This record gives sequence, C-alpha cells and structure tokens, in this order.
Amino acid sequence: MTIREKGYTHWDGELKERRLPWWPITWLGIRLAFKKKYFKFIYFGSFIPAFVFLAGIYISERIEDFRYMIKGSTRILEVNPAYFKTYFTSDFLLFMMVMILVVSAAGLISDDLKYNSLQLYFSRPLEKRDYLIGKAAIIFFFLLLLTVVPGFLFIIFKLLFSGGFHFIASYPWLPFSVIVYSLLLTSFFCLYALFLSSLSKNRRYVSILIFAAYLFLDILFGFFYENFRKPAFALLSLKVNLQQLGAYIFKQKPAYPVPWYWSFLILLAICSLAYFVLRSKIKGVEVVK
Amino acid sequence: MIIELKDIHFNYGRIKALQGITLRLSEGAVGLLGPNGAGKSTLLRILLGFLAPQKGEGRVLGYDIRLEQSHIRRYVGYMPEDDCLIPGMDAVTFTAHFGELSGMPRQEAIKRAHDVLFYAGLGESRYRLLETYSAGMKQRLKLAQAIVHDPKLLFLDEPTSNLDPQGRKEILELIKDISSKKDIQVLISSHILTDIESVCSDVVILNKGQLAAQGKISELKQLHFRLYEVKIKGDGEGLVKKLKAMGYKVDETEDKLLKVYMPAEREILEFFRAAEEEQVQIRRFVRSQTSLEDLFAKAVGVD
Repeated sequence: MTIREKGYTHWDGELKERRLPWWPITWLGIRLAFKKKYFKFIYFGSFIPAFVFLAGIYISERIEDFRYMIKGSTRILEVNPAYFKTYFTSDFLLFMMVMILVVSAAGLISDDLKYNSLQLYFSRPLEKRDYLIGKAAIIFFFLLLLTVVPGFLFIIFKLLFSGGFHFIASYPWLPFSVIVYSLLLTSFFCLYALFLSSLSKNRRYVSILIFAAYLFLDILFGFFYENFRKPAFALLSLKVNLQQLGAYIFKQKPAYPVPWYWSFLILLAICSLAYFVLRSKIKGVEVVK
Repeated sequence: MIIELKDIHFNYGRIKALQGITLRLSEGAVGLLGPNGAGKSTLLRILLGFLAPQKGEGRVLGYDIRLEQSHIRRYVGYMPEDDCLIPGMDAVTFTAHFGELSGMPRQEAIKRAHDVLFYAGLGESRYRLLETYSAGMKQRLKLAQAIVHDPKLLFLDEPTSNLDPQGRKEILELIKDISSKKDIQVLISSHILTDIESVCSDVVILNKGQLAAQGKISELKQLHFRLYEVKIKGDGEGLVKKLKAMGYKVDETEDKLLKVYMPAEREILEFFRAAEEEQVQIRRFVRSQTSLEDLFAKAVGVD
C-alpha cells in the first residue's frame, strides 16, 4: 500500500526549540551557493593571494636559499604587520570579496522577496532577527574563511618556519588586529550586500548594484583625486575607506593623509543605513497579504 | 478548544479591521469566509501570532496570542495563497528545510519530507527543481511544507486556486483526509464556496470586521430561512409584493422560476393563502436545498 493510499499519517517525534534557530537557513544558503555557476571558481580563486602570502612566509625564512631568484630588495618579504596589512587590504582580495557577494549574496533576500518565501519563513517559530542572522551568517562563513583563517595561518606558519616565538612576542597585538579587521571587513560587506539585496526582487539588478556601487565610488574618487589632489576625496571610495581602516588596525601609515576615524564613521553610517533599511524591508507581518 | 477568541479588536490607524470578534472552534474543518476587506487576513495574522490585538484576548492551541506567538507558530502549519518557493532546490530539500525550521531534527525532517511529498502527489517529481513545477505542483508543494512537521492546526489560504478541476478535486480530497484526523484542526480561507461546503462542517463568516455568522453549515442553513422553488401561472407581481411585505425574500430566475426565501417563523399555509388572494395558480412548489452561497449572501447582505 502506498503512502498516499494509507492516508495522512502522524509524525512520531517531538518538535524542539533550537538553540540556533537560524542555523538551517545558513546551512542551506552555504549549500546552495556551491551549486551556483562560477561560484566555486571565484571562491577558490580568491584564495590565490593567501597561498602566495603563505609561500612568501616560507621564502622569507629561507631567504638565502632563494637569493638567486630574488633580484633587488627583499624588504617586501619581511613578515611584519605591514605584510598582513598588504594581504588584508589588497585590491585583489577586496575585489574578489565583492565578486563573491555578486555571485552568492545577491539573491539572499531578493529571491525570498521575489518568490514570496518570507511568508513561509515567518510562519515558522522564527523572528526577523533569526532570519537576518541566518542570511548574514552565510556571508560571514565565506568571507571569514578568506580573512581570519589565512590571517591565523600566516601567524602559525611564521612561528613554525622561524622555529620560535620571537615574532609573536614582537607583535602580541597582531592576532587581535587580524580578528578585528576580519570582523569589520566581513560585517561591512555583509550589511552592504544584504541591504542591496533587500532593495530589489531581481537578483541580477542586485548583482549589478553590488558590483557597480563598489566600482563607481572608486572611479569617482579616482576622478576627483586626480583632478583636485585633495586626499579628502578618498572618503568617497568604499575600497579606500576599508584600506585606511586596515592601515590603522595594523598600525601602519595610511595611504592617504585622512584621519582613520573619518573612514570608520563613513563605513559605520553605511552599515547603520543598511541595518535600518533591512529592518523596515523584512516584515514578518507580510505573511498574510 | 483549539481556537478561542474573546472580543478581539484590531485597527489599522483609523480603519477598523476587526471589531469584537468572539470565536470558539474545536475539531474538524472550518471555512473562513467574507468579502474582500472583511477582516479575514487580519484574523489569520492574529491567529498566526503576527499581530497582537489591541483589545480582547485569545488562545490558539492553548497558547496566548499576545505572549506565546512563537509557540503557536511551532505547532501551526500555514499554506499561503501565493506561490512560494526557494529557487535552485528540489522539493525534498525545500520541504525538509521548513520541517527543520519548525524544530524537527534534520534526518527526521528529510524522512518526513519524502512521506508528505508522496502523500501530496509529488513523489515522482520530488527531485526536480522547483522552478520547473507547474502551478498545480506548486500548490501541492505548499501543502506538503505546511504538513511536514505534523501541525495540530492547519491554515489554508485559498488552497485550490490555480488548479484545474482534477487537481482541485485531489487537493480537496487530501484536505478532507487530513481534517478527518480528529487531532488536526483545519481552517480554510477561500472564495470558492463549493470547496468550503464540500470540505468543512463549520463556517465562520466575517463582514466589515464583524462576525456575520458562525456555526455548523447545516444548522446555519436551517436556522435562517427555508428556500422554495415556485412556478406560477398568472401575474406574479402582486404576489411578490405581498410576500415581500410579509418578510419573504423573493428572487426571479431567468427561467421564470421564483426563489422564495421563507422566514423561519412563517407557515407554508400563509404562502398559499397569499397566492389565493392574488389569484395566482401555483404550478410547482418544491423545497430547495439552500446552498452556502445563499447563506453567505444573506450573512453579508448582498444578493
């Protein structure tokens, strides 16, 4: 007898309150991202700088063995906070992060708006907070793997290859800088992507928005800076603001003579705007139209 | 009592959406009817725990609608009217996902998803991408996700919309089967009155934010009026006027039949006396089965 012929049957188990009610959303989001076209290519391609920097750490400890390959100064191979700052604020890494958002994060909310799935989410024992945390955790997962994990691997490999704790004794604050900057970078990109994703029901528009806003503001900065030579125009660019903040956190000289807290305030303002827009756009009460 | 509401009021600004709704619903299938703007959606929002009433109190499955909304949603299944899906996944993943969100362990949710998809008639296509589903399949999918966690109370919003006659019949059979389980209460909001009549034993009719009628469909039909189909010979205008003056409601159909709604307190003999006085010959006098449509029209005050 088929299940259908047997009629409706009850489930024997007991529904339980989850400690992390948002976890199924995150887990599903991560699995779905890997099913997307080009995602694996872009994501694993984003790890290229991490491998290069890891190789750099190895070479820096065996500099005499590689002397014949290196012409000129070996200063760039000195592993110090500047080395970390170079990795974390590199144009390539930031660009690849934006590309990851374009492919994996654009549809996180816009698809739910388009296909009315918010109604289904909020008819479950799920608060607006849980829904947003679940979606944000997907972005956190991908971006933290690209920032905090390589950051710590750099430190561990440096300690292993140098055979002592001299490095960490010289820069005891470095692990905290890695954590703080990784979290700031990831939080900003997370709110940036979710905010834009909530603005449209069309995932393609959102993808274009995520990419175009990042690129356009950088071009705008370049245009004004080249013409007027005023460093304050650096505040126009998301990329430069993130780099200025990175320079401060890794105790390095910023590329533009603009106080780091201005960059921080601008990024904070964007995050606040994103948060309030998200709160107003995601409404559980829309469950019944 | 599965649903118990007492003097519920809810306003959207100046608009009074619900005014003093008092309801007590127990087992079985209940139809929720009302014209657009009657307050059905607001009532469902309150029952699902999305809105807290501004006045009044209530319990759904024993949980307070003001304070224990999350508990209510754990044990309630909801099938929305609109098509809902998550692109890029198959029906098993989709259904299991919502089972997990309701509090089922992952493995159990997957196992149960297979069962309910077979039950809803999607067994063969359960691994197909949801974007490729037809309108009828999406409707079945919504039902599957609503019952995956074995809810104690099921809200179905227009469950047969977008379905062909065969699909509609099958969905109604499934709903009948589910509601035949004594421990599952089904509340169906629909504009298709014949669907409500075929599945539900009870009905709640809302009109302008107020309760227009509530109770067993069979009793409500009896209670308000008796309907007769009458064919006459002669000038019926005088008879119609006289009957209306006596409190009858009379409609003339296209094939010259009179539909006479006789108030409960009136005697049949009075009708024949009126016909005799107006010198009208009665050719046919048949007791007609009142439909839910008649009841709905009377409750909300439209023809």
